[in-house]
Amino acid sequence: MDIQEFIQRLENEFEDLPKGTLKPDTNYRDIPNWSSMHALIIIAFADAQFNVELTASDLRNANTIQDLYDVIKSKMQS
Amino acid sequence: MLESLKHKTILVTGASSGIGRTTAILLSLYCDNIIITARREKELNDTLLMMKKGNHQVIVADLKQTSEIEHLAKTIPSIDGWAHCTGKVLPVPVKFIQQKHYEDVFQTNYLSAVYLLSHLLKYNKLNANSSIVFISSISTLHSYFGGALYTSSKAALESYARTVALELAPKKIRVNVLQPALVRTNIYEDTVNAAMNEEEIKKYEKQYPLGIGDPQDVANMIVFLLSNASKWMTGTFIKMDGGLTLGFNKSD
Repeated sequence: MDIQEFIQRLENEFEDLPKGTLKPDTNYRDIPNWSSMHALIIIAFADAQFNVELTASDLRNANTIQDLYDVIKSKMQS
Repeated sequence: MLESLKHKTILVTGASSGIGRTTAILLSLYCDNIIITARREKELNDTLLMMKKGNHQVIVADLKQTSEIEHLAKTIPSIDGWAHCTGKVLPVPVKFIQQKHYEDVFQTNYLSAVYLLSHLLKYNKLNANSSIVFISSISTLHSYFGGALYTSSKAALESYARTVALELAPKKIRVNVLQPALVRTNIYEDTVNAAMNEEEIKKYEKQYPLGIGDPQDVANMIVFLLSNASKWMTGTFIKMDGGLTLGFNKSD
């Protein structure tokens, strides 16, 4: 999975988000109407699609979509 | 009336952190025989170090495993009270709920109580006049995003508690349920801080007219319910929410 595919899959989960909004350097907390529900969706998305358990500190340390992709990818390999 | 606790034997489950740990510490001021149990050994021993010295006992047990529940019930001496503080918060949006989430949450929040109680009764470990305290949550009345599994597991526990209160009343065993809102525990740190930015946390905390609670606020009520001071109370649900569910709080 490359980052473009990752972005596509993530955008599918945010149903209120127009396609093409997310870029690798987008700070995901700047998504319009960002709320704690989006954070929950990201955690659930990583779990359901990649069998990766994102922790609270993983999320705190990740700012951009690229960061998210990287942490999920590294946890998939370990 | 708290002196009635002195010679009682009390079991505190989930004593490795949060409300369970705080309860064990507070209770040790009044009670000499406390059995603390949880899954994590190091944290559990830390709890013991924070308690006032007595004839306390530490038993490591994972209450998600029926075999460990049975072993715990067999091993412990007869008890006069049980504060069940085992709990798991796992926020999952409805669309993403899988069987593994359901099992994790329901085993920890609901089945642990059900199976431990039936084993305690089977091995005759609950003395007459015992008091049982279950920790539910205000969220069974006042829901939140991502809480579907958590709130329904607590609702199951509440409903279960009513029947237990009725069935055990002939032995003067009492069962009461606390429904706390958000208190400052590790669970709070993990879930709220991870998911919300500072502005959102502030807005959230403003919904509480008396502010967010401390574990001690809940532990005070647990100690009261374990003591003879509450001997006429059973099947009661006690809301502790800092005024959260009164209505809309004033905005600044």
